[in-house]
Amino acid sequence: MAKLSTEMVHLLGNYGHIGFTFVAAIFIGLGGGSYLDEHFFDGRTSPWFTFIGLAFGIGAGFKSLFDILKTPAAKSEDEGGKSN
Amino acid sequence: MEHPILFISLILEKLGLPIPHGPIGNTFLEKLCEPYMTYTWFVMIFLVVVGKLTLSNIEMIPGKGQNFWEMIIGGMYDFFNDNMGTELTEKLFPMISTFALYIAVANLIGLIPGFMSPTSSINTTLALTLIVWITHHAIGFRAHGMGYIKHFLGPIPILIPLMLPIELISNIARLLSLSIRLFGNIMAKETLLGILFMLAGAYFAPLPIMLLGVLVSLVQAMVFVLLTVVYFGQSNEHAH
Repeated sequence: MAKLSTEMVHLLGNYGHIGFTFVAAIFIGLGGGSYLDEHFFDGRTSPWFTFIGLAFGIGAGFKSLFDILKTPAAKSEDEGGKSN
Repeated sequence: MEHPILFISLILEKLGLPIPHGPIGNTFLEKLCEPYMTYTWFVMIFLVVVGKLTLSNIEMIPGKGQNFWEMIIGGMYDFFNDNMGTELTEKLFPMISTFALYIAVANLIGLIPGFMSPTSSINTTLALTLIVWITHHAIGFRAHGMGYIKHFLGPIPILIPLMLPIELISNIARLLSLSIRLFGNIMAKETLLGILFMLAGAYFAPLPIMLLGVLVSLVQAMVFVLLTVVYFGQSNEHAH
């Protein structure tokens, strides 16, 4: 029981923030693109930088997912699983 | 919703200090007397006093208090050592372990009636996150000099126009996600407890949420420290 709960806490710690990081990346991309459109170019380029920013934001979200898979904690868990 | 009873605010009000009635005060003195500020100081005083009481005479054969601290500090030291290397741990252990203790105590203190969690205010968590974020860039620039920029350029030179915005966005997303996650979880816990206490406090309705609150508090403190350690380790190692 104790082992199970520590394992759960570790899993929550390592992977509990996936959703939030993904969403934060998308919103920062979208917000940055929309800022470029409205304030930097005064709405002359109106929808385009928002879309480009959204695309980059989604890309950044997926990149942060891969980063989470590459963290040392995830790696050591993987190796521990293999040796068992 | 009814304002919760916060005993430090009541004491300060009796002393004649201005207590802001909204979330933020107007004058400098009101800003200093905001509940999350006063409870931050309370947590700081608590940690210092408990440390002083339990560790005032360190012995070869540890007593109860020293055993407790040796277990916590030793466990954290080993964890940091595994995840970011000895050199960085030696340098940054005081900072990160202080963060861990402060966040854990600050989260848990909100479960006691009459107290609130300082971390349920975005100002506190954003301050902690900014320190971590700036420090991890400082570590990177110190370890690699200007070559630290390679961390943001991706693996192949042709892909730089594609990878640079993606890396920058995902780096700034760290700032957002780290601060808002801690703030959101703790504020949700506080608000839920307050509402349940108001609705059915006499029938022990908040009890199950309090049980979950202990878990959330510890897990969020652990997540914050784990991510801090991971970021520090990543900016210290060579670019892929």
